[in-house]
Parts: sequence; C-alpha cells; structure tokens
Amino acid sequence: MSLRAEGLRVRLGAAEVLHAVDFSADPGEVTAIVGPNGSGKTTLMRALTGELPHDGRVWLNGRDTAALRGWEMAALRAVLPQSTPLAFPFSVVEVVRMGQMSGLSAADPTLAARALSAVDLAGYENRFFQELSGGEQQRAQLARVLVQVWEPLGPDGPRWLLLDEPVASLDIGHQLGVMALVRDYARRGGGVVAVMHDLNLTAIGADKAVMMAQGQVLAAGPVPEVLTDAVLGEAYGCPLRVNAAPADGAVFVLPHSVGKVA
Amino acid sequence: MVALAEAPAAPPVADRLSRARRMHLALWALLALAATASLASGATGVSLGALFAGMTGAELSGVERVVLYDIRLPRLVLGALVGASLAVSGAVMQGLFRNPLADPALVGVSAGAGLGAITAIVLGAGVSWLAFTGIYTVPFAAFIGGWASTMILYRVSTRRGRTSVATMLLAGIALGALAGAASGVLVYIADDAQLRDLTFWGLGSLAGATWAKVAAAGPIIVAALLAAPFLARGLNGLALGEAAAHHMGIPVQTVKNAAILSVAAATGAAVAVSGGIGFVGIVVPHLLRLATGPDHRMLLPNAALLGASLLVLADVISRTVIAPAELPIGIVTAILGAPVFLWILLRRRGMIDL
Repeated sequence: MSLRAEGLRVRLGAAEVLHAVDFSADPGEVTAIVGPNGSGKTTLMRALTGELPHDGRVWLNGRDTAALRGWEMAALRAVLPQSTPLAFPFSVVEVVRMGQMSGLSAADPTLAARALSAVDLAGYENRFFQELSGGEQQRAQLARVLVQVWEPLGPDGPRWLLLDEPVASLDIGHQLGVMALVRDYARRGGGVVAVMHDLNLTAIGADKAVMMAQGQVLAAGPVPEVLTDAVLGEAYGCPLRVNAAPADGAVFVLPHSVGKVA
Repeated sequence: MVALAEAPAAPPVADRLSRARRMHLALWALLALAATASLASGATGVSLGALFAGMTGAELSGVERVVLYDIRLPRLVLGALVGASLAVSGAVMQGLFRNPLADPALVGVSAGAGLGAITAIVLGAGVSWLAFTGIYTVPFAAFIGGWASTMILYRVSTRRGRTSVATMLLAGIALGALAGAASGVLVYIADDAQLRDLTFWGLGSLAGATWAKVAAAGPIIVAALLAAPFLARGLNGLALGEAAAHHMGIPVQTVKNAAILSVAAATGAAVAVSGGIGFVGIVVPHLLRLATGPDHRMLLPNAALLGASLLVLADVISRTVIAPAELPIGIVTAILGAPVFLWILLRRRGMIDL
C-alpha cells in the first residue's frame, strides 16, 4: 500500500528530462519532492500522475496504474497542478463540486462548504472563481482536490494527495495552514506527495524528501538525511549550510553567501 | 482575468443549477409559442383559428392542409432542428476549446461544408453519377465537406492520441482559408445561374424545407443532440484544463473525440439543409451562460431549446416582414444576433474575458 515507481523516463521533445527515476512514498507521511529549477520535480510528478507519457511503471496501492481506468485512479488519488486556469465564470462552490463528483463522497451536500472552510475560504462559495486572488484561487483548487479524496483511508487502502507546489503563491500564514492540513491528512492514514520549492517549509512540514537534480534523484530519505550541506550544495550549486534550531531540533536552511560553491 | 474592475457587481450565483432547471421549463414554453407562431404565419391564409381547428380535428380545406402539413410543418421542424443543432454545436465547441468565442465556423467546419456545397452546385451538373442523389446533391456534398474538413483538422492536430486545442484552432483558420480560396476559384468559373444559386445558399434559408430534407438531416442532428448530455461532465472538467480533467477521472481523449464528431455531424447536417446561418451558435450559449451559469449539464439542453426557439422565431420574421417575399433567414439572425453579440461584449466585457 504505497506509491512506487521504477525506471521512469520522460522525453519532452528531443531531450530526455527524466532519466530512469525510482520513487517511493508511504502513506501516513508527507513526502516532498525538492530540487532546483528545471531539475525534473514537476516532470516526475506529472509522470507519477499519468499526465505525461513515460517509460517505466507506477504502482498505486500495489496496482499498476497503467491498468487502472481514469475513474478508478480518480477515486484513489487527487492531483493539484501547479496552476489551474479556469475557462468560463464558474463559482467557487461549482469548482469544488467538480472535484467532489469525481470521488467517492459525491453525495455529501455539506462537503464542499467544509472543504472550503478547511482551506480558510468559508463563505466564498458563491464568489466567482476568477475574482479571487492568486493565493485564494490556489486554496480553492486545493479544496477541489481535497473533496475528491476526502477520506484519507478508503475501504481498499489509503488515498493520495499529489500536490505540485501547493504553497507556492500563499502568504506565510496560509503556507503553514496548508502544511498543517496535509500533515493532518497523512496522520489520519492518507499519503501526501508534494513538490516543494521552499526548503524550510519542507524541513518542518515533510517527513521524507526526494532531492532531484538534472532529471535524476540525488538523494532520498528522511528529511534530515536529504537536507544536508553536501546534498544541497551539489543540487543547487551554491554554498548552503543546514542548521538546527535550538527549540525542537527541526532543521532549517540558511544561505550563507551568494557565490558559487568553492 | 483581465478587466475585473470593469465587471459590474457579481450577480448572486447561489444555486444556479436549479435556476437553470426552471429556465429549462420556460424554454419549452417559449418553443411551443414559437412553434404556434410559425404554423400560424406566412404568405397565404391559414389563420390561427384554422390552426386550432385543425388541431381539434375539424376539416381543413385542401389548400390549408397542404400549406400546414407540407409547407409550414416541415419548415418548423427543420428550423427547430437546425437552431438546436447550431446552438448546441456552438456550446460544445466553446467547451472543448475552453474559449467562449469558439464556433464551428472558427475551426473550418462551416467553410468545409460550404466548399462541398459550392463544388456540387458548380461542378455537380457535369458529373453523371451524382444524378442519383437528386435534390440531395448539395446538402450531401455540404455534409461531406464539413465532415472531411473536421477529419483533416483532427489528423493534423492529434499526435499520439492527444489533441492540441491550440494547433486545432490555428489549423482550423488555415483550413478555413484554404476552403475559402477553393470556393473562390469555383465561384470564379461559375456561370450566372450558378452564381445565383450560390448566393442564396450562402445567405441561408429554410425556404426549401421539405419532409425529405427533414428525413435527410433530422436523424443526424437528433443523434448529435442526444449525445450532447453525455459530454456535459467532461466539458465541465475540461474547463479546468485537460490535466485537471484527466486527474478527475474524465476520459479526456474520448470526450474530445465525441465532441468533435458530434459537432462535425450536427454542423454539417445543419449547414447542408439551411446554408450559412450565423450567430445562433455563439449568441445562444452566451446568453444562457450569463443567465444561469456555465455548467454544461443544463447549458447544453437549454441551448438546444433556446436555439430552436430563436431560429423558428427568426424564420417567422423572415417570412412576414416583406411578405409575400422572404428575407433569407441568415440576414435576420445576423441583424438580430450581431447587435446582441456586441451588446453582450460591451456590457459584460469583464465576464467574457474570464
């Protein structure tokens, strides 16, 4: 009962941008995919979700995703893309209900409102989606994704949230709120895989991390083993030193200078 | 996202779905009203009284019978079918392209159908094997032209089972231009009588409506209309983009294929029997989206009803304003539709951009 991939290769145009990547994530944990720009984080995510044609195989809860139908996948995992443009003036609640219709909780009349309140958008139901700010739109999309797999544990195993930069355009309060929300989802038995840009949020929000660099996995494992001076320096090509905050031992990232690695 | 500040205060959108359901009932009433007006009006004398007498079983004179059953009724049925087909095709195409200004005319389906019809009118006379198709030659050729252009478009814009909407739009413009140029060549070599035929076909008219035409176009249009509700959820999902629709379990490629085929069939059949009738496909879905929201589950059936009603009413106008002569219906829909369209654009620019 995990999300596992072997030998993922993705070609975009003539270039291979993902080179035989192996990946695994367990339910009950938040797994962050981190790495510099263009390292293949989003490509890996899009291969895992089946959005991009790829070589290699992906198993979700032990089932080969190539053999799963679209609606079966939709009941097992929900995906938050990096950005979701919306055509036509749908209201916020109409957008959220589209996600709800795709999952197993389609009949619950109060679910959309509860999900909106979970992402701090209570009372936004009848606003036009396009009239929200960028961060509000992203949280409304997160609500749409949440209601698709609302129960973290289904009858046939865990449900999965696959999130591509879920906190990228949020203010710091909502960044922490969303990280708390997905941690709670994992704590209740669901699986969460998130592409993350912010290393400090990764450090306090994720259990496992996968460091991508140049289309390959540079390091993978518990966060303190991945976010190390050596790994970060190699991945990002700049001197970074990981420090532990004195309070509770969580690591944080502190840039020390803007020069190249010596 | 542009010009949000220009949009007027957001109308209440609470529970637009049930408002759309009430609208659905109202539109059936509108269609019934339009149908009555259509049967009761025309160049010669079947009055409203005679119409009700006919419905209650009283004897009609021979002339009244012919006018009612062989002229006005097929015309009413054909008008309703064509109107519904144009409006639903427009709504489906707009949903597919995620663009409120998309229209079958935009992706070359109408241009292809036009080329087919013009080919039949100009070259058809010299081709003996075409003779067996008789009065169907022009409609049939228009249908083939629309279908073929959609197929070419589809082949150009689909790679590895994925259709690129951007490629399709651009290819549609190119194909439309090509079909227009080919049509131009044919018009250039046409003689005077053919030019007259071409002009009238191009303006669009329901004047030639017969039961034979209803029988030729009806089944295709009805099949496309019946398929539309099954596209509704897929088109709603596509509004969030193909990736999000895919993640929500919508069979994106199947929805796209079905949408393209139903639009090609319905538009080809409609253009074939009625020529170029504009603005129904773009104005009707807009009006409904503004009134009851963009949810395709009610938008598609309501578009069918409103499109049918509006085209039947436009036909009534085309028959009565300069009676006993007739104004081609394409002129009526353009005169009524274009200002409405501009008015929508001006008043709700913020909404259209969304």
